[in-house]
Amino acid sequence: MQITVSQHHSAAIAVITGDITHSAAGDLQEKLMAVLCSTDMLVLDCSGIGILTSAGLRMLLILYRESKVNGKKIVLVAIPESVKDVMSVTGFLEQFAIHNSVDDALAQVSKPILL
Amino acid sequence: MSTRIDLYPTAEISGWKVRPGRVRPYGTSLVPGGVNFSIYSSAATSCTLVLFDRQSRKIIAELLLPDSFRIGDVWSVVIFDLDPESFEYGYRMDGPWDPAIGHRFDASKVLLDPYVRSISGRDVWGIPPDWDDEFPYRGFVIPEDFDWRGDSSLEIPSEDLIVYEMHVRGFTRHQTSAIAHPGTYAGVVEKIPYLIGLGVNCVELLPVFEFDEFELSVPNSYTGGTNMNYWGYSTVGFFAPKAGFAATGSLGMQADEFKSMVRALHQAGIEVILDVVFNHTCEGDHRGPTISFRGLDNQIYYLLTPEGYYHNFSGCGNSLNCNNPVVRDMVLECLRFWVSEYHIDGFRFDAAAILGRDPSGMIMNNPPLLESVALDPILKKCKLIAEAWDAGGLYLLGKFPNYGRFSEWNGKFRDDTRDFLRGMPDHASLLATRIAGSPDLYEAGGRGPLASINFITCHDGFTLRDLVSYNHKHNDTNGEDNRDGSDDNRSWNCGIEGETTDKEICSLRLRQIKNALLMLMVARGTPMLLMGDEMGRTQWGNNNVYCHDNHLNWLDWSLLESESELFRFTRLAISLRLRHPALRSSRHPRSDRAGALGFPEISWHGSQPWSPDWSAESRLVAVVLASTTSSGEDVIYYAWNSSSTANILQLPSLPEPFYWRVAVNTGCDAPSDINNDDEGPLLEPTHSFLIGPYSSIALIAYRQKS
Repeated sequence: MQITVSQHHSAAIAVITGDITHSAAGDLQEKLMAVLCSTDMLVLDCSGIGILTSAGLRMLLILYRESKVNGKKIVLVAIPESVKDVMSVTGFLEQFAIHNSVDDALAQVSKPILL
Repeated sequence: MSTRIDLYPTAEISGWKVRPGRVRPYGTSLVPGGVNFSIYSSAATSCTLVLFDRQSRKIIAELLLPDSFRIGDVWSVVIFDLDPESFEYGYRMDGPWDPAIGHRFDASKVLLDPYVRSISGRDVWGIPPDWDDEFPYRGFVIPEDFDWRGDSSLEIPSEDLIVYEMHVRGFTRHQTSAIAHPGTYAGVVEKIPYLIGLGVNCVELLPVFEFDEFELSVPNSYTGGTNMNYWGYSTVGFFAPKAGFAATGSLGMQADEFKSMVRALHQAGIEVILDVVFNHTCEGDHRGPTISFRGLDNQIYYLLTPEGYYHNFSGCGNSLNCNNPVVRDMVLECLRFWVSEYHIDGFRFDAAAILGRDPSGMIMNNPPLLESVALDPILKKCKLIAEAWDAGGLYLLGKFPNYGRFSEWNGKFRDDTRDFLRGMPDHASLLATRIAGSPDLYEAGGRGPLASINFITCHDGFTLRDLVSYNHKHNDTNGEDNRDGSDDNRSWNCGIEGETTDKEICSLRLRQIKNALLMLMVARGTPMLLMGDEMGRTQWGNNNVYCHDNHLNWLDWSLLESESELFRFTRLAISLRLRHPALRSSRHPRSDRAGALGFPEISWHGSQPWSPDWSAESRLVAVVLASTTSSGEDVIYYAWNSSSTANILQLPSLPEPFYWRVAVNTGCDAPSDINNDDEGPLLEPTHSFLIGPYSSIALIAYRQKS
């Protein structure tokens, strides 16, 4: 599992590649939490995710909830169909803010930021 | 830094950091920094926790638990730094091998934890197993943190319930289901709009506790293939959902998928009842495999003969020792678990008479298990339904120890409605009794009609279409020379055995199906419909399809189109029931209590009003059900004619400004066979009504607007 982070105005974009399993989840959670500290919005580019296990999904949901508590925003984008399907039938999908692409996500948030 | 002392290990076993665990809850639980394990055995001499690597499936550790990790008969341990996604587990229990006194310990076996929450080994339905795997079923740990987002049990009153008995896989496995996840929990969710359209508000799922579909893998001499344990009445793990029913079973996420299904059904106003099998386990008799209970504490978990063999009251090789306090605890804990963790709304107890037997197999006067279940605070609002008999000859219909809580699958309703339908003599008054909610069975005990789950067909036996298409069972495809399955079908083929293109026979069959559905939807009690009966599902005369994973069991959705008339009839008959409070009271109707418009709650009629014919040769039953509620007077007239000749009915008169309006006449062609409310023709006040042969009618008292 690898993660690369870039900044785009007030949003951070994190590209995750590889499998998110229990063993990778802890490390990833720490890194993403650190990113969240210094940004209002975190866009998770999921296009490179292979397998997202139960523990991986739960980590993402915890992160998501945590961000809400702190008044921040996390958006999941470009989720591979197979991963999306698992998220859908297990009830996780509807709990996240989802966009098709990084551009879509940034376009959506640019409005309130300009206001 | 930890804030608790018990977050630190105190010992090391086989290289793993551990400390003595908590004895409750049994099974596994995630604790900070590790996993707590707890297991019971009253006669084991040692307990070894075996850990497997989930990927390679190889044993990675065996932890022999020291005596200091045992309290009473329970061993427990916390293992630290254990990645819950990377391991599976089981136990080796050493102890005496002495079958004569009931002990069958075998430390060479790795046993499944009876309280295990998820089981691997049969992750994807139908993938041929590795027959050489010594330990095919392993437990694994899952988080129990599902976010229900406000969901809770629906608690629909039983009088308002329409139960739909279905098999999770069979419901959507057929290619005609045209959905993304056929044969799974997710597939059920995709078909929720269909269930809503039909009008049912409760699904009763055939077994969903983990079972092995390959358990009955015997060659089938007829098909040349292999039989399967398709129905699943053979539990491997009582606390684990069947992985092979989950689209995400290969990821071990069956629990999440199951819960999502329950939540979605609840959102649609549909309750979930589970068919649970506590009468026996999958371990069979003394020749069966040692998977869990046999190797953990055979003498405690099973009913044994004085010689140490297994009592077989279930017909499946063994019988669970339900009224032993340890087993009782397990059953009770299991039910509480499914209600609290999975938001299940009720249970149907398979062969429940066994749950009332004592350790020697005798029926008890006051079975503690049933009392505990009935009065348990966590289970207090859920539906409890008993199949009030077992394969050992114990038949408790009407007498099931119910503590005011258990209802029963009413086998007499099934038998009497079938007999009346096929025109047997001596059945007019019996049909009347069933329509009234079987007061002969349930009035004396003060139980009321809601003790009766009314059904004409269920997974066991013919489908409704086959009930009117076959005189005899045709089970050759099961590979047992047609010996298996019941011979007591009370069915009538209407003239030709099996499928036919004869128009008259087809039309008579369809009419008979409608007549039956109307009985089901009129009778006091809770109606249960079998999956597919609303669209004429056939099993081609097979009345025992337990072993087939094919078109004999899979619902063919193309029937919705070819049998659209039947589907429409069923949908409207359900809606008729739900619209009319006179049909849904929680009390037995009485002829000496006022109902509405001058009618008592129930009155019986015949060719002449107020003159029922209860003679042996009568094949006519006519009834008026009447009630007054806050929404007004509700009066309905029903009649069934099971003779081969038509009959003229003089109708009881209604006070001005009420008129009889035709709701149903199965003697008419669609769409006049059943009308939406306010759409049927109004009858003249002195009208007589011609009821056709093998037909039924329903009339509603309608207030004519001035």
